[in-house]
Amino acid sequence: MDVGGWIFIAVIVIVIISIVSMYNGLVNLRNQVQNAWRQIDVQLKRRHELIPNLVEVTKDYMEYEQETLEKVIQARNGAVNAQGPEQAIAAEGALSGALGKLFALMENYPDLKANENVNKLMEELSSTENKIAFSRQFYNDSVMGMNNGVETFPANIIANLFGFKQATYFEVPEEEKASPKVNLR
Amino acid sequence: MPDSTIACSECGAANHKRSKTCRLCGNLLKPELAKKKRIQEKLLRRTDFLAASRANQSATRKLILALLTIAVILGYLVGWSAQVSVGVIPVNAEDPLLFLSHWGLIGAAILLGISLIWTWIAFKRGDRIIMKMTGATLANHDNEKQLHNVVEEMALAAGVPKPTVYIIETEAMNAFATGMSPGRASVAVTRGMLNKLSRDELQGVMAHEMSHVVNWDIRYATAVSILVGLIALVSDSILRSGRYGRLGGGKRSGGNNSGAGILFIIMIVFAILAPLIARLVQMAVSRQREFLADATSVRLTRNPHGLISALEKLSQETVKFEGANRATQHLFIVNPFRNFSEKASSLMATHPPLNRRINRLHNLGDKKFD
Repeated sequence: MDVGGWIFIAVIVIVIISIVSMYNGLVNLRNQVQNAWRQIDVQLKRRHELIPNLVEVTKDYMEYEQETLEKVIQARNGAVNAQGPEQAIAAEGALSGALGKLFALMENYPDLKANENVNKLMEELSSTENKIAFSRQFYNDSVMGMNNGVETFPANIIANLFGFKQATYFEVPEEEKASPKVNLR
Repeated sequence: MPDSTIACSECGAANHKRSKTCRLCGNLLKPELAKKKRIQEKLLRRTDFLAASRANQSATRKLILALLTIAVILGYLVGWSAQVSVGVIPVNAEDPLLFLSHWGLIGAAILLGISLIWTWIAFKRGDRIIMKMTGATLANHDNEKQLHNVVEEMALAAGVPKPTVYIIETEAMNAFATGMSPGRASVAVTRGMLNKLSRDELQGVMAHEMSHVVNWDIRYATAVSILVGLIALVSDSILRSGRYGRLGGGKRSGGNNSGAGILFIIMIVFAILAPLIARLVQMAVSRQREFLADATSVRLTRNPHGLISALEKLSQETVKFEGANRATQHLFIVNPFRNFSEKASSLMATHPPLNRRINRLHNLGDKKFD
């Protein structure tokens, strides 16, 4: 075979290798995004489990805050029944907002804060809130990696060819951003 | 110093006079360049996990290769000197000193085997050996709920599995991470740390340790502890005993000529090895690694103030931590042998001075988070 033939074969091989590595890179990114979402899901489920306990314990102390407790329960049920990431993000945002208000109100009840069971539950819940925030942070970082991979040249050609789509960021709803910051140390 | 080099103000390493950053610690060599945007971006890019983890894995491979080479040379030297001093030299050897020593080959094979087993142990049980050396015990899941929660939060932020959590029962304040990969990592804190730090400060410290995990610093640091640390301890004790004349030094004219000769050779080899080992241990926690872990910690918590006030509390700490030795000192968040690290430009320091770390964190925090 002449020199031109060898160069042609070499170019073909390099192109195939780069296509395969770009495809595998995109699959890795997609798996990371999916795994990060599953991590958030685990923490959200944990929060759904903890909230009825918290409401049960605080109910007796906070007689005049039935409306707030009612809202927390409603938001929790809405979040449990949410379908798909988009709906879940909105419902969980509402739940975070309702919980934030409840935490702020609890500051006004010294008896409640003195209760050891409540304290344990509060550490658990505030830690779960942190875990949701941190896993959301990691999810958003992964989404950024995925979207960079899907959009930048030349990987975007491979992404279009094999149907890799951009992932959705887990945005913090405005309501939650405005919720009062509680010191739970 | 020749005119063509420039000394780094942080670590004292000699650099080419035209280079902009230190080749050893990444410190900016020419302060007037700090205002240039392109240089700032270059410094920021250094906080790159993938590059850090690749560098750490290749450093570990080089370390093991170096150790195996040293073992082979040392084994051959010992065997050869034994054969020479006993006087069993092959008849056909032209020179009594230059010949292929069979005893030397056997010695090399034995030491190579020992160091291979040693490496295998380091990879399989390294973290547990270190935990035992420092006196750490597993943290109870129910009693230490907050610590477990904080560690789990940071693992989620870093996107790695939750490490095993240990506690060291001492009033001194310190913390470290160890393990051979992010999937099999362990973190330890002292009781003093738990008692004196708030939740936010503990979170900053744990994020720092988690950064060592995701950057694969733990792999190299653990390998250094197990592989090099033991040699350091052995060579320390051999050199010390040699100095006092108990081994090899004094009676070389007596009847035990051969034994003294072997010990003399071993002593010389260790005397050559000792500074090399010190350098390796020091490299395991270069300033670059600590600064990177501090920066990554802020990236994980999005809150520099926790780590800043934790480091400030650590800098005022007076209780000395007894559980550390030369093999493990480089693992900790602050050097347990404090007097050692306090000198800002000391070449032997394993950690950057705390006030510099605090200053850098303030720079990060003021720009992005306030």
